[in-house]
Amino acid sequence: MADLIIENLTIKYGGVTAVENLSINVPSGEFLTLLGPSGCGKSTTLFAVAGLNHATSGIIRVGDRILFNGDSKAAVPPERRNIGLVFQSYALWPHKTVADNLAFPLILRKMGKSERDERIKEALGLVEMLPYAERYPFELSGGQQQRVALARALVYRPPLLLLDEPLSNLDAKLRERARVWLRELQERLKVTTVYVTHDQSEALAVSDRIAVMSMGRMRQLGSPREIYETPADSFVADFIGSSNFLGARMIESGADHALVELGDGTRLTTAPGRAAADGSLVVAVRPERISVATAEGPNTLRAKVEQKVYLGSVWQYVVRSGPVEFRIQTTFEIDAPEVLLHIPADACALFSEKPVGN
Amino acid sequence: MTDLTDAGAGRPAFDRSRLIFWGVSLLTVVLVFGPILPIFIQAFLDKPLYDADAGFTLGNFGRLFSEPGVGRIFLNTLYFGALTMAVAQVFGAVMAVLVGRTNLPGRRWMGEVFIWPLFVSNLVIAFGWFTMYGPSGFITLASRTYLGGAPWNLYSVTGMGIVAGLSQAPLTYLMCLAAVTKADPQLEDAARSAGAGPFRALWSVTIPMIRPAMIYSAVLNFVIGIEMLAIPLLFGGPSGIQTVTTFLYDKGINAAVRPEYGIVGAAAILLLIVVALLVWLQGRLMQGAGRFVTVRGKASRPSTLDLGPWKWAAFAFVFGFVLLTILSIFGGIFLRSVVTFLTPLIPIWKVLTTGNFELVLSSETYVRSIVNSVVVSVVGAAIGTFFIVVIALIARRSEFRFRRPLEYVALFPRALPGIIAGLGFFYAVIWMPGLDAIRGTIFVLILAFVVRYIPVGFGAIAPALAQIGEELDRGARISGADWWTTVTRIILPILKPALFSCYALLFIHFFKEYVTAAFLYQPGSEIIGTTMLQLVAQGDNGPVSALATIQVIITALFVFLARRLLGAKIYG
Repeated sequence: MADLIIENLTIKYGGVTAVENLSINVPSGEFLTLLGPSGCGKSTTLFAVAGLNHATSGIIRVGDRILFNGDSKAAVPPERRNIGLVFQSYALWPHKTVADNLAFPLILRKMGKSERDERIKEALGLVEMLPYAERYPFELSGGQQQRVALARALVYRPPLLLLDEPLSNLDAKLRERARVWLRELQERLKVTTVYVTHDQSEALAVSDRIAVMSMGRMRQLGSPREIYETPADSFVADFIGSSNFLGARMIESGADHALVELGDGTRLTTAPGRAAADGSLVVAVRPERISVATAEGPNTLRAKVEQKVYLGSVWQYVVRSGPVEFRIQTTFEIDAPEVLLHIPADACALFSEKPVGN
Repeated sequence: MTDLTDAGAGRPAFDRSRLIFWGVSLLTVVLVFGPILPIFIQAFLDKPLYDADAGFTLGNFGRLFSEPGVGRIFLNTLYFGALTMAVAQVFGAVMAVLVGRTNLPGRRWMGEVFIWPLFVSNLVIAFGWFTMYGPSGFITLASRTYLGGAPWNLYSVTGMGIVAGLSQAPLTYLMCLAAVTKADPQLEDAARSAGAGPFRALWSVTIPMIRPAMIYSAVLNFVIGIEMLAIPLLFGGPSGIQTVTTFLYDKGINAAVRPEYGIVGAAAILLLIVVALLVWLQGRLMQGAGRFVTVRGKASRPSTLDLGPWKWAAFAFVFGFVLLTILSIFGGIFLRSVVTFLTPLIPIWKVLTTGNFELVLSSETYVRSIVNSVVVSVVGAAIGTFFIVVIALIARRSEFRFRRPLEYVALFPRALPGIIAGLGFFYAVIWMPGLDAIRGTIFVLILAFVVRYIPVGFGAIAPALAQIGEELDRGARISGADWWTTVTRIILPILKPALFSCYALLFIHFFKEYVTAAFLYQPGSEIIGTTMLQLVAQGDNGPVSALATIQVIITALFVFLARRLLGAKIYG
């Protein structure tokens, strides 16, 4: 076990900067997820740690061992890094049986036959694939292949495990089971793990900490709860879960609260935050935090129900109050054309600008 | 279960991957440019290359152009090449559509017969045409006797061009066939539901998609035409018609009395430049061919068009073509090999003989040329396959800094006509000190053949390599394997079918080769092709036909075995 340290990592391809000045410290045994939309640089970062990409500058270290140093242009080739990596496509070698797939890295490490067999048995046992040792990859289901790929990455006991969207090729039900199982296994082995995904619910479910990335930069690093409840900026608020972004104007900015005015004239007391130079801002509020109120009071407003969608476990509505349009979620059906809503102050986060591309 | 004491795989004492990258690249550059350099130098020297007194001159080009009839020779070459291309394209494309997409009766076996000519050299084909359609050929005489005339004359540039075109049609056919049968059937279905009839859908949607195949094979056939030796030599020789290749051949080999290396060098350079330009043009024309690439999800075949009553007319056309230009040619060669004298005027059984084969098998030289051909093909194809696959792996699956340039250099021999490759190796072997040891051995033949056919082998391996996901390499690297271990333990085993196909293709090309060897062989290192070339020049048609028959039989056996035992894909 070892910690992974990434310092000021920058990766450029020609004129394009894929990753910019990224610094993350992953303590030994932690499960860290790199989360972001496609093209945000998360896989690029992961493959740079594996040595399969060339970083431009910065430092990558596992424990005391420097794997990449941009200053001295020193890069350890991937085969010397001793890192476990599970690919999105699993990358099981089709001409080798499951056992031979696991044996290959051990043979490369010049391990004797008896010790090798022991390790293979142990690793296959961990992923509950022992009965399939003599099968070929094409004879396995997607879920089974995924387990074998994980066993192959663990069989040589690397101090660091990298996972590149390992569950994305599984169907939805299996994916949910697999992530619970994956997390349990990681906790048991206490192997430092970096996990890449674009699926926020997966990230929230498995991670100790999440690094949200966008356009090559890290936007926020924190526990799943911090990321979800106190997003650092409007991008994170938008990407994690779903948020309404309501245009507003700052009326009063205090140390523990703020008072803003929406486009329809409604005044809301919110958590503190900063507005842009001209006093404009956006209020981010999640649809499920808005509730139907029984009586007028602070932070309430009347809105017309414009659209109604039944989603099974909840109802979702698009409602409008003057120029302000937003979504709400309820567990019951609303029949009235108009509804009185309450937006709690602690459900509102203030940002000076809207998320890009929204 | 994790611990730090487990370091990665043991590091080799030196970085062998880099050694392989550089070694193979260097070897490729030397092998590809080695034979071209001496030709270039020779073109600007006033004396032979090996003469220490030789000095720089531009006079060779002047002398070449003042040579009587040189203008004629260049015109002949261009006309011959253009006619070859035109005839091959028209017949090849029509056959591909008829065989690939219609309910033509007998299309399966006729489609199979159609690619036979690709397995044998155009020397054999030319000899077959000569036997059947020459001035005293079997069909010519039969036509004169029974129909009162034979309105063809092979001994003209037009006649030569038509023969060459008909014998190159299979190449066009093969490329267009792939395009019409692999087209996404949904595209035609979409046209059908938009209101097009079945013929209209084929004509407006699928036929335009064979354009890249047409352009590619058109340039290829033009190049093959202008660098072809056998047909101009056999048919042009007697009537004094020359093309650039026969000029090079005559001046280079036959003019022993007055060796004119300077002129030969100058003419070779011009031919090389023209061919290189054409290959470059081909690359330019193929750019943007992506819009013709159809994406296929499922392995489905486009529907077959019902020709209705026209199918018998189509059958007559295709069968006539197969009968007159393929079956009769092969039949003529076989027939000629078992008679003393082939003519429709004397019943065959009166002239039957085993004499031709006895003559071939009792002659030490002829037997040796057969043995040499087999050895060159068996061993050469193995060496070639290994060399080419390593080049392909470096070019496509390594981090070597110069992998792109390596691929360009390796594919350059596409622009290297066989006669020039042969001439170049011939010069290089005399010129480079130390190479005298391999002069006139089959080793130099293997070397020259391998270089000439790197692009053929590369073409068999590269697409298969592209099918293997890069994560398989990456998975091996991260598991602790260096580059060489990765490609040998992971990639090569998966690539096995493509390696067999590459081997089979190289074997066939080496076995039928004659042009490249024409300047390189010496008594002791003859191959079937060079021996036949010699015998044809002497007019010894009996042993030629026997040798050709033996060559065809061995090839057929090899193709059969390679397909059955190795599952090799040879031409579809």
